[in-house]
Amino acid sequence: FHKHQVEGEVGILINPPVSFQITHYKQYPPNVTKVYSYFECRRRNEAQFSEVVFFGLQYLLKKYLAGPVVTEEKIQEAKVFYQLHFRQAVFDEEGWRKILEKYDGRLPIRIKAVPEGKVIPRGNVLFTVENTDPDFFWLTNYIETMLVQMWYPITVATISREFKKILAKHLKATSGSLEGLDFKLHDFGYRGVSSQESAALGGAAHLVNFCSTDTVAGVLMAQRYYGCPMAGFSIPAAEHSTIISWGRHREKEAFESLLDQFPTGCVSVVSDSYDIFNACKHIWGGKLRERVLERGDDSTLVIRPDSGDPAETVIEVIRILEECFGSSVNSVGYKLLPSNLRIIQGDGIDLSSVKEILEKLRDEGWSMENVLFGCGSSLLQKINRDTLNCAFKCSYVESNGKGMDVYKQPITDPSKRSKRGRLSLRRNSDGFIETVEHGVGKPEEDMLVTVFENGSILQDYLLEEIRKNALLWEEEDPNCYQHNRDDLQAGEPLQKHIINGVP
Amino acid sequence: LWVAGVGAERPVCYSIQVTHYKQYPPNTSKVYSYFECREKKTDSTKDRKVKYDKTVFYGLQYILHKYLKGKVVTPEKIQEAKEVYREHFQDDVFNEKGWNYILEKYDGHLPIEIKAVPEGSVIPRGNVLFTVENTDPECYWLTNWVETILVQIWYPITVATNSREQKKILAKYLMETSGKLEGLEYKLHDFGYRGVSSQETAGIGASAHLVNFKGTDTVAGIGVIKKYYGTKDPVPGFSVPAAEHSTITAWGKDHEKDAFEHIIKQFPSVPVSIVSDSYDIYNACEKIWGEDLRSLIVARSPSAPLVVRPDSGNPLDTVLKVLEILGKKFPLEENNKGYKVLPPYIRVIQGDGVDINTLQEIVEGMKEHRWSIENISFGSGGALLQKLTRDLLNCSFKCSYVVTNGLGVNVFKDPVADPNKRSKKGRLSLHKTPSGDFVTLEEGKGDLEEYGEDLLHTVFRNGTIVKTYSFDEVRENARLKEGELKELLR
Repeated sequence: FHKHQVEGEVGILINPPVSFQITHYKQYPPNVTKVYSYFECRRRNEAQFSEVVFFGLQYLLKKYLAGPVVTEEKIQEAKVFYQLHFRQAVFDEEGWRKILEKYDGRLPIRIKAVPEGKVIPRGNVLFTVENTDPDFFWLTNYIETMLVQMWYPITVATISREFKKILAKHLKATSGSLEGLDFKLHDFGYRGVSSQESAALGGAAHLVNFCSTDTVAGVLMAQRYYGCPMAGFSIPAAEHSTIISWGRHREKEAFESLLDQFPTGCVSVVSDSYDIFNACKHIWGGKLRERVLERGDDSTLVIRPDSGDPAETVIEVIRILEECFGSSVNSVGYKLLPSNLRIIQGDGIDLSSVKEILEKLRDEGWSMENVLFGCGSSLLQKINRDTLNCAFKCSYVESNGKGMDVYKQPITDPSKRSKRGRLSLRRNSDGFIETVEHGVGKPEEDMLVTVFENGSILQDYLLEEIRKNALLWEEEDPNCYQHNRDDLQAGEPLQKHIINGVP
Repeated sequence: LWVAGVGAERPVCYSIQVTHYKQYPPNTSKVYSYFECREKKTDSTKDRKVKYDKTVFYGLQYILHKYLKGKVVTPEKIQEAKEVYREHFQDDVFNEKGWNYILEKYDGHLPIEIKAVPEGSVIPRGNVLFTVENTDPECYWLTNWVETILVQIWYPITVATNSREQKKILAKYLMETSGKLEGLEYKLHDFGYRGVSSQETAGIGASAHLVNFKGTDTVAGIGVIKKYYGTKDPVPGFSVPAAEHSTITAWGKDHEKDAFEHIIKQFPSVPVSIVSDSYDIYNACEKIWGEDLRSLIVARSPSAPLVVRPDSGNPLDTVLKVLEILGKKFPLEENNKGYKVLPPYIRVIQGDGVDINTLQEIVEGMKEHRWSIENISFGSGGALLQKLTRDLLNCSFKCSYVVTNGLGVNVFKDPVADPNKRSKKGRLSLHKTPSGDFVTLEEGKGDLEEYGEDLLHTVFRNGTIVKTYSFDEVRENARLKEGELKELLR
């Protein structure tokens, strides 16, 4: 496995925990020999999302936890640093040196996790962490901060999949198939995300569900950490600067130049620099109409509005384009623009606006084949750890040779209650996935797999299998789509169906 | 294209921009773009109580150092990029020629000039904050190639701005309820590490918060400051020993008192924060802190208080009830403003559900109930470092001027459906009017010298960082000014 040594900006010990965790080795009961913790996306009543996609752990393991992560130099640097930061000596120098001496700097930790890409209902254990050597009970929660950042790729992959559910439903209903579903939601999030690393991780998480992205960093992340040579594709596209640089009254020349530069293959042209409706009617549908029509079938012009109310704008644009270019009807009775003309709406897209747009289009008799979507901050940034209530909690300790189930149960918030004891995940006889607490789970039923132990990564998931695990059930068996699903909320598990049909 | 210093892991470009070199008008020799936090004249978000009239400019230096300076291109990287983009677009669209030119003529240094407002400056919305242009006519396409990486400055700007607005709220209520601003810099502690989307975000965001405050548990921020800005102090941010639920619950449900006792004894001479809501926060305050362990607490010095930490329930209600209980168990004093203060050996930190709106609610609620803000400090996590987007301050990078066929043209967008999205025209400069307000001059009017010097300074030119700011300067530029404090207290 390709190990990337963490530089750490000041060479601080691996990736430093939240400051206060430095002091925790002094706080556990005496004679504690094991601290066992777990991660879940807690369940909440009336939560918008009932199931989550597990993704991203392999990146964290490969990048930050695998192999020798401790050196004497780092111990010294950390010691000096924390002395200044806390204004006293609290750093556990001895503890870290023991790891160096006994394990050559490799972490005596075991992590068991759900296979990546699996879709698991909220409120279930997703991974567990424990120390494998009694001397290092404090290590479990030391690496918590790093591991709890799993909230991010999990949440992006989950939201992205929720989008896919909505898109699949409408695509199937208005076109009769799911063809092209993988390209219906394009990642536009790069510039709206908080850092390069987040862009890479979030971008990769989106690619669990789709193949369409402008966040190149995500493609590289998938390549490096998940073994996929090219996980996402894009097309040449204009942005405002390449249109407005031609001057206020030369929008047509700008558009035309794009058609010239990219005569074959798809090209996306942002058309709202001054007046989207004028651009559609008089330039695309007027002066350049012939140029558009003469493009081949695989050389689609994709018109991009980028302002105004999303649903209203899309409807108005498609009406104007129909006026200028005509339309045909597909096999299920919905209208189609000419096959080399499409629209991409990449402004103001989130789960509710995309629903609104698709419903309006459907009401007006338009197939979803006519549109694509781009999503930026709603996909990669407008989310946080509370979106899926991600939490990492201690559930079991051993001291003086005795095991004890531990938990929190704040009186002022029952939803913050944590699970107790050693945990396992299984599919019960009704086919539902559930967490077994108190250490009574049967090992042969346990869906959690040991992925990391004593510095080594034991499983290597490829994006290909992750994608399979995360497929919508409609995608797995398109013929199964016989029920009328209009009355079902996207994401609600059907009572009689297995939630995740992978053995 | 890969950029050195990123460990060849992350290219610094958005797919869309890869093909732009083909899209500008022929014979374009200059593309000049700028960055601003647009003003929003028509705000549709009704629940936006905070206006964010001014923004703190911060974070450019990190980007310049980490991603743009020095030799960013090698022949291997060009080859790799070419291959990746060929697969990504299923077509040869990558501007190999353009990048080879930069490699050969400039040894891989970027022929770009960036002019910016000094870091830490507090500037009203709707003003230019930095400009970017190519210095070599062949590289007109480079300006917007670096856009994606530069526009990520929205994040440190937004964290620093949001953090500063919270400082103003705390300053106001602290002054009103105690008559002084002592300890203000420790009143909002960064708890955000576990709630951010990546390690890198943690570093950037935490450093932005430290522009305004000194308390942090997000150590990564200190690393960013030391490496990219530098301070005269050994460290720019501090913390205290603190418990978390696992170090309490590991003792077992019936041993919360033992846990508390053990921890408080481990740290006798520094402040120690102990989360007290594992089972019943009110019982913990009344029985354990207030009775069982009371003698241990009262023996502590004022410089080493016990800090009680609730972590669930409605923030304001919980804080008030905790203060009430503690106020019954420990002798209260009335300060010279007439507000109640707990004895100096015990304090409270509220670190759950704190954002700029709940912060305002809590301090207001405390004031109403005659509690001084001296009693409390706050921790903020997701709201401080993650629950922010580029839309909060409408951060935007736009082209405003090009030279084509030797002629300069002022360019702009002005979408009919959204006047808020209109961009500025021409070459820009930032000035101060005689009355002290900031103004952005468009269309090159800054050249007329009507308003004195341009406040934008060249910070980067042709691969070299030509002007840097220390973190101390950044803090100085961003501090709350006399006038602002007066305004707050009116």
